[in-house]
Amino acid sequence: MLSFVEETTLLLLDDASGEFVDMPVSSFGTVIAGAALMDLAMHDRIDTDLEKLTVVDKTATGDSILDDALAQLSQKPDDAQGMRILEAIDRVALQSQGYSAEALKRLTALGILRQDSGRFLWVFRTRRYPVVDDREEQEVKARLRQILLTDEIPDPRDVVLICLVAACELMELILTPDELAKAEPRIEQLRKMDLIGQAVAKAVREIEFIFRYASGAA
Amino acid sequence: MDIERDNDGDVAIFRLSGRFDSAAAGFAEGGLGSAVTGTPRLVLDLSGLDYISSAGLRVILVLARKVQQAAGKLALFGLRPTVREVFTVSGFDTIISIQPDAAAALAQVR
Repeated sequence: MLSFVEETTLLLLDDASGEFVDMPVSSFGTVIAGAALMDLAMHDRIDTDLEKLTVVDKTATGDSILDDALAQLSQKPDDAQGMRILEAIDRVALQSQGYSAEALKRLTALGILRQDSGRFLWVFRTRRYPVVDDREEQEVKARLRQILLTDEIPDPRDVVLICLVAACELMELILTPDELAKAEPRIEQLRKMDLIGQAVAKAVREIEFIFRYASGAA
Repeated sequence: MDIERDNDGDVAIFRLSGRFDSAAAGFAEGGLGSAVTGTPRLVLDLSGLDYISSAGLRVILVLARKVQQAAGKLALFGLRPTVREVFTVSGFDTIISIQPDAAAALAQVR
């Protein structure tokens, strides 16, 4: 099973071009950081409530990305008391490009992506990664469609993925425009269900507001 | 966290008390999950619960999913304001039946 960082990296790649979808670098970093935090939560290394995120177990997971993220959350003497989720996202986001690069390597090693050289990309400027084997991606999309288009209670993993896809405003990768319109209330319902996901969405909205304002579109 | 089990006819009633966080999640998942057999009818009495974190919410979500897959029913009652706030902010109250008292919860799952 892929980690959330790997699944998110895969979802953020455009299938045809092998390039990352167009989004601000800081939003990209926020989403990848959120994915890493959600992975840590699923590994029972962190826990969250409405006030804070707390490291509850510093034991290494064996995944270099997650163990680095865990270290980022355990650096300061008072970290044991917990921190705001947005602060945790900001800390981990500083490492997010390295995490994505590592995730791309892993996905390539798994035969899911193929690496081509020679094109300039927006986020990763020296490589493109066409999707070779899309079974994993299609399985994820099919599972999320089932959750989004029915009243089926999601499992926690699906909630996380829906939060991440919604935060990236990439629901059109999962649903047709008609389905998207009908599923809007369901998306709003599900995207609230993970507290880290809520914080990621808030951070991405703020970044994108700043970008729109800075470009004069707001 | 402590979990006590009682039965009212074919309904299993679990009384949860203390803190429902990552430290309690594994224990709770095993204890609550054991009741998902046949067509489960479950009531969770949360009146003794002081605190719930994301890890606790995940356990309840997994339980609710299993109950739904088994065509059973699940209802909660007795949420203190701080716990209720977590269910509201996270939207769990739109997925899982939360009733005002034990009688309403029992009626909901029958």
